[in-house]
Amino acid sequence: MEKEKKSWPPYAPGTHVKESDIREKKLTYTWWEPEVQYSWSLGHAMSKFIQGLKTGKIYGIHCKRCKRVIVPPRMFCEYCFGPTDEWVELKDTGVIETFSISYLDPDARRIEEPILVGVVSIDGASPKHGFMHYFGEMTKDEIKIGMKVKAVWKPENEREGSITDIKYFKPLKGGDD
Amino acid sequence: MKEVAVIGAGMTLFRRHLKETGKELSFMATKMAMEDAGIQKDDIDMVVMGSAPDAFDGIHMKGENLIDGSAATGKPYVRVFNGGGTGVFAPIAGWWHVASGVADVCLVVAEEKMGNVYPHPQTAFRHIWDPVLDRPLNPNLVWLFAMEMNRYMTVHNIKKEDIALVAVKNKRNAVGHPCAQLADPNITVDDVLNSEIMAWPVQRLDVSPPSDGAAALIFCNKDIVHKFTDDPIYVAGTGWSIDSTMWTNRDLYFPRYVAQAAKMAYKKAGIINPPKEIDFAEPYDPFDYKELHHMEGLLLCKKGEAPILTREGVTQRDGDMPICPSGGLLGVGNPIAATMGQKVCELYWQLAGKAGKRQIPGDPRVGVGQAWGDIMQMATVMVLRRG
Amino acid sequence: MGFLEKQTDPTTPMHWRGDMQADYFYPSGIAGDKFFRHIMENDTFLATKCSKCNKVLFPPRLYCEDCFEEIQEMDWIEVPSTGTVKLYTVVTINAHGKKLEKPRVIAFIDIDKTNGALLGVIRTNDFNKDFLGTKVKAIFKQKGNREGTLKDILYWE
Repeated sequence: MEKEKKSWPPYAPGTHVKESDIREKKLTYTWWEPEVQYSWSLGHAMSKFIQGLKTGKIYGIHCKRCKRVIVPPRMFCEYCFGPTDEWVELKDTGVIETFSISYLDPDARRIEEPILVGVVSIDGASPKHGFMHYFGEMTKDEIKIGMKVKAVWKPENEREGSITDIKYFKPLKGGDD
Repeated sequence: MKEVAVIGAGMTLFRRHLKETGKELSFMATKMAMEDAGIQKDDIDMVVMGSAPDAFDGIHMKGENLIDGSAATGKPYVRVFNGGGTGVFAPIAGWWHVASGVADVCLVVAEEKMGNVYPHPQTAFRHIWDPVLDRPLNPNLVWLFAMEMNRYMTVHNIKKEDIALVAVKNKRNAVGHPCAQLADPNITVDDVLNSEIMAWPVQRLDVSPPSDGAAALIFCNKDIVHKFTDDPIYVAGTGWSIDSTMWTNRDLYFPRYVAQAAKMAYKKAGIINPPKEIDFAEPYDPFDYKELHHMEGLLLCKKGEAPILTREGVTQRDGDMPICPSGGLLGVGNPIAATMGQKVCELYWQLAGKAGKRQIPGDPRVGVGQAWGDIMQMATVMVLRRG
Repeated sequence: MGFLEKQTDPTTPMHWRGDMQADYFYPSGIAGDKFFRHIMENDTFLATKCSKCNKVLFPPRLYCEDCFEEIQEMDWIEVPSTGTVKLYTVVTINAHGKKLEKPRVIAFIDIDKTNGALLGVIRTNDFNKDFLGTKVKAIFKQKGNREGTLKDILYWE
């Protein structure tokens, strides 16, 4: 039984609605603003990491089976699936692994001055281990993968125990350790 | 394990906003697939729904909400979800329902309404980030792709012009697709390179749009496929794999989880030399560089070779290895889970010779579709073979 | 070490507070739009009849989920905005657990001439009354003020 070889899909069901149709209320709809609050428990590892940031320190954790120093730290190693071992205080310098020059804010709105953001691997941890953060004191033409950088911290009295206790990472100039 | 065949597929229009509710979209896609297969609701044994975060439609437990439109009332039903990977994972789940023998006919529906969340779907994406490590930095999801794209370009020394060729190819390919949101027969590399910079190196025309849409697919057992067709299209292999959430601890230039999923699927399909034995592919292309990234992940070429093949025209519809003949996500649209329409339904339509203006010339017999999800983690792969 | 450390200070595992920032726009859909446009202009409801199983579906929809048949234009019928209370409850606290100033009676109302029902608020001052089986009718907002959402029905009595 040979089915007729017409083109599929034969038509595209669906009614297109433009943003202007919504603004002009050309269709009925219900609008809702949810109020949902969350309180996430940080767990042991993240708690210590966050407290460390408040004191101006970056902590990593050691997995002796995989022989790696992990940052951000976690209570178990996701590769060997065993508990991690002792805490390691890391340096606050690192290397830019990748970056982006963003002209968008978190709600996808356009901004004039770009934000420099990327992944920085931290010195003292295993290669390629790090976290995402901002980059500053460099222009969008200067930023490069492989650039050495150093953390710029908020003053002690302004730190609240958050990844933003580090304001951004700046270029590491020789002798600036 | 039983052999499983695809007997029908359907898809709705893809647009930024559609007037229909999620249930109505599911209904339209399912009805079209049932028409293609020539079956009624009672012929379906079980239903699988694939739909990405509830946060888009704004309906908690939307899997349960969508059943009426998915011909699932009174039937065994399950919803699967792994972010962007759902577009191929939902068919994999449908496949295992039939391969295991628990169902003879299984319907798979994929639906998404990204237009429900305001001001922009990016707002819902804010919640994908770790609340402690990432959210205080107010990130935008485009940053993540921009960082991966930067890494990929730097490691292999790829120019933006070569990546822009993918956006041009796919948006032109989409011209033959009735559901396409961004088909453009005249787009050029310069258009892409001159488009607004969102988060360098990502520019506006490098990105697929958020969309509303739905797609449906029907699987059946080999023992009864003769009732529906003389030239069945079989599921030759499936694979899926996920990598660690700690994406800042991985080198993003090569998607090793895609390679793992691909190896799993090729092993089942008995494919030893993918570039020679696979006729065409639908890798997931939410961004133009992702098509290249995934071509390499799918082992269809060597690392760093994908942009060269694109430049040489090998991946055009009339080339030796057509990639995204449907127009992909860049051309047709990106309603997360409903991209099943381009990634698996398209494989079926191409192999069955029903792709109309999008039909690949020659006699394609084996196609591979792939989807990718979460934070650079999930890969889902399906290989379809004719006969 | 690490995982196996004893926690001696109960305040050390911390919490991180946040919220979910997103607003939602729910289009009523093809069937819903027709229904809501009707109640913007009229004091009656619309329902859809499935030509295969003859069920009168309410709220009206584009298809019958049991027969999976699409509803045709001619199968839309007008029904009165009246019904019978099948179930009800008296609510005294709000969603966050705070006591309400005045209790509310929430009812599941079987709509006349259909196989469906609607949830609604019953206007009353007698919270000890037994509403089961009571016949009620919908009281709408003034015609010019209706917006095409369920809130166009103010309450039932």
